[in-house]
Amino acid sequence: MDLPSGHALVTALVTGVLLGGLFAITALGLSLVFGVMRLINLVHGELIVLGAYLAFVLLEHGGIDPLLGLLVIAPALAVVAYPIQRVLLTPLMSKGAEAPLLTTFGLSVIAQNVFILVFSGDTQSLSTSYASDSVDLAGIDVPVVYLISFGLALALSVAAHLVIQRTGIGREIRASAEDAVAAEVMGVNVPRIYAVTYGLGAGCAAVGGVLVGLTFSFTPTTGVTYLLTGFAVVVLGGLGSVKGTLLGGLLLGAIESVGGAFFGDGYRDLIGFLVFLTFLAIRPQGLFGRRPA
Amino acid sequence: MSPALTLARGRGLASRGGRRAAAGAAFLVLGLVLATLPTFASDYTVLVGYRVLEYAALAQAWNLLAGYGGLVSLGSAAFIGIGSYATAEITIHSGVPLVPAMLGSGAAAAAFAVIVSVPLFRLRGLYFAIGTLTLAEALRIWMVNWNGFGGASGQFLTDTAPGNHEIYYLSLVVLALATALVAGVLRTRLGVGLRAVRDNEDVAQEMGLSTFRTKLWAFALAASVMGAVGGMQAARLSAIEPYGAFNLQWTIDIVNIAIVGGLGTIAGPLAGAAFVIILGELLADYPELHVAITGAILIAVIRFAPRGLWGTLAGAGLPAPLRLLARRRG
Repeated sequence: MDLPSGHALVTALVTGVLLGGLFAITALGLSLVFGVMRLINLVHGELIVLGAYLAFVLLEHGGIDPLLGLLVIAPALAVVAYPIQRVLLTPLMSKGAEAPLLTTFGLSVIAQNVFILVFSGDTQSLSTSYASDSVDLAGIDVPVVYLISFGLALALSVAAHLVIQRTGIGREIRASAEDAVAAEVMGVNVPRIYAVTYGLGAGCAAVGGVLVGLTFSFTPTTGVTYLLTGFAVVVLGGLGSVKGTLLGGLLLGAIESVGGAFFGDGYRDLIGFLVFLTFLAIRPQGLFGRRPA
Repeated sequence: MSPALTLARGRGLASRGGRRAAAGAAFLVLGLVLATLPTFASDYTVLVGYRVLEYAALAQAWNLLAGYGGLVSLGSAAFIGIGSYATAEITIHSGVPLVPAMLGSGAAAAAFAVIVSVPLFRLRGLYFAIGTLTLAEALRIWMVNWNGFGGASGQFLTDTAPGNHEIYYLSLVVLALATALVAGVLRTRLGVGLRAVRDNEDVAQEMGLSTFRTKLWAFALAASVMGAVGGMQAARLSAIEPYGAFNLQWTIDIVNIAIVGGLGTIAGPLAGAAFVIILGELLADYPELHVAITGAILIAVIRFAPRGLWGTLAGAGLPAPLRLLARRRG
């Protein structure tokens, strides 16, 4: 193991924190769905990859910039996701936690293989003029895409926070998360709120997918990695808190990036997973606030 | 329907003894067919049979965890991969024959299970599922990046691969042992404890059960079966490489087969494996379509037939009062 130089370490730290914005975005939907429905959405990674593929199609066939395409892709994914919760998942929620979990597992298996059938198993990426550009930030070479990710993460987090805390639908979401039965009694249409939450989560996943496509490459099976890093962010940052998810994302970005500088880039995800497992084992209920089901 | 079964039905299956006798007869016929299959079937059929038996053994091990213990592990690929590598290393370096090497694989996978149980068992339910999935993916990434054991490109085994009949009978023995193991465990205190953990872990603990030890035994036993199967797989392929040995697809297939067949039933894993593998053969030209369809069937089974194909069929053959009883898993 070669020790990285001081400059390399600072570079890794800065780019890691900026890249953490991407992690925060990919985790936001997962956090929302987990916080409200107590569901680990195993198809979340495939929703991210679907977002990337839709942006790829728009870019290749319509010449539409992926970031502009988000205006269509995010709502489209929300519309696709809404019935998944409404028709498939909500009816199973009374049958224990395993049935919805394994249903999302089945969905993820279907999605991965449909991706292969439709888009082939080839590695793709969203190549735009700015995707490979970088700027000099106080002597540190920073890819432009990282800055975009970071900015979008801040914007999306503020937006999500405002929607949840300040709007009528946000109040109903919080009520459903707190006590579904009481919310139902008070006239909240809980199944509808669940589906809306799931749709919002998918919309966030779409944003994450586009950024993943711009920053890295993706394949039909890339989703698992983002599911797990997303979950690591949720565990690090604390459940159901938008601010926690943002901070968790930045923290994981920094850990993976600095770890990658020490051990090599191939080990980045591994380091993230190990931190996550350690954290989960030491504080299994810790930052979640509530006892797990 | 076979004459024996029709006869048993005619007398009424209401008595427990009658049902047992019918099950025993069916089991005997099935065993006889499986044991003599290579004598009359084509090479192709024998190989399909091998895969059915192999996956049935894996699903049986998972069934012990998820079906009877409520431990939904998504980390099966880790134990299969460790088993593959253990058999490869043992046979390459010591010249030990395959069967003892597979025992070594089982021991290696069980040892790994014991080590990781310390952090993993702090997690319950959904957290256990995501924790095991993360662990298996972490191990896969490690094996792909690390230079040991042949690194990303893997290595070849030095022993000749077992022939079709040999590997078929080996997998038949593994499945028989795995099934006997699970059926045997269910009759012991461990089996009772395991189901108590599944039904309510907190209450089980308050009643004085060491839930940690109960789960550990099940976890290690299931891991040893998966490890042994991994070893068998390595011998069959005559090579190991991390992408295949630790592939998430193992985990996916096992979950599909166990649930589609019928979680918490002894015959479910074999029924599920036969269904999924034969469906795969019918769709051999469309492997992605096959996996996608299996995923759809999984979702449908969870929703409409939570006891799986076997549980539903067996339940349907019983008179109404017994069917109510059968609805209770395990």
